[in-house]
Amino acid sequence: MTPGRVHGHRRGPAPRVVALLLALLLAGCGGAATPEPAPAAAYNGTDVMFLQMSLEYIAQGDRVVSPAARRAADPRIRALATELGGQWAAEAATMRRWLTGWQQPASADPDAGAHAGHGDLHSLRPSDIAELTAAKGGDFDRTAVSLLLGHLHNCVEVARMESAGGRYPPARDLAGRMTVARQSQIQRLLGLAA
Amino acid sequence: MRRRIALPLLSAATIGASFFVAVAPASAHGYISSPPSRQANCASGAVANCGDIIYEPQSVEAPKGSMQCNGGGSRFAVLNDNGKNWPAASVGRTVTFNWVLTARHATSTWEYFIGNTRLASFNDGGAQPGATKSHTVSMGSFSGRQTLLARWNIADTVNAFYACVDLNIGGGGTQPPPTTPPTTPPNPPPTTPPTTPPAGGTWQAGTAYAVGSTVTYGGATYRCRQAHTALAGWEPPNVPALWERI
Repeated sequence: MTPGRVHGHRRGPAPRVVALLLALLLAGCGGAATPEPAPAAAYNGTDVMFLQMSLEYIAQGDRVVSPAARRAADPRIRALATELGGQWAAEAATMRRWLTGWQQPASADPDAGAHAGHGDLHSLRPSDIAELTAAKGGDFDRTAVSLLLGHLHNCVEVARMESAGGRYPPARDLAGRMTVARQSQIQRLLGLAA
Repeated sequence: MRRRIALPLLSAATIGASFFVAVAPASAHGYISSPPSRQANCASGAVANCGDIIYEPQSVEAPKGSMQCNGGGSRFAVLNDNGKNWPAASVGRTVTFNWVLTARHATSTWEYFIGNTRLASFNDGGAQPGATKSHTVSMGSFSGRQTLLARWNIADTVNAFYACVDLNIGGGGTQPPPTTPPTTPPNPPPTTPPTTPPAGGTWQAGTAYAVGSTVTYGGATYRCRQAHTALAGWEPPNVPALWERI
């Protein structure tokens, strides 16, 4: 009914859809129709999309946690931002390694155009980062907490998508750990927001 | 060549479409984080056994026009359960509601209700929200424990997002005071210690009430008929055996 992020791919412009469909074709048909059977794919399109979208979200989230770790007045926000940044760096390194091993691009969306059709609804926009950067004192803290909450909810959605439909067991494990970690950070942020 | 390519692409598109339907998470967009809405209290762990709403407090989406906490949709009926022990935030006569947004939809209006009374409506005229969104709303003549319903009406879909916020308006009862001072002066604090329910205090689950004590609830005053410790769901209008309206 609503233009959710994942729905958006269905009618969105081509690059990400094509990459995904190719991944599905490779995953679903590899070995069946070719004279030289490739090894059975141990991953599927959901795995690829999870990794690519999570990398994009981590890159966006870094633009909030970097200033938050330095500038937040509340030390609990600084600590949480620092923790998130460290976890994201480790997760991103793993994600890039898998995508490289599968010969998949780290982003299905090199020209950043795939989301333009629905206005980057589920993404942190440059204007959001600009508002955060311009905010001072208590406003900075409130804006950082609000942006992080919304962003972590989106991260959890992608991780749960992987848990529901991914195939590569280590990626599913990673998604499960990310959901647990992000949910606990969301709980701390809700405590700070209340 | 063109035909030979078309068929696999079509199959792939079909696979893709079914794949999206199968794994698409519920679309997700926003909720009130402070004072904490019911879904925020679920996500934060303040209220247990809420089900999947803990993973997506932002997803309470349903067609416009409902007065139910879950928007009348098929999911998240737990939010309508007034028997759950929802904490009520102590607030003054004017309350600032802060939203968390995970998708910044073009917005027609934001509406706030208690009961059938619309306290406020903010018309965004189709604009997209900025990084944060908050509204300051007067509680009017309402006091004591109340459940406020907020509706975020999306400009370009038939849907709205719903959030109920449980409030204890006017600083009565035994709830801790708000951490930030309200913009209007609160009522004078009760002069009697809170160990016995003060006359006119707001009904609250978990409180022991003696015969003859009086409370307010939903704007009405009630006298206790039988000594008891109040449980959620035993709100005075629900339990005439315990409370007599005066």
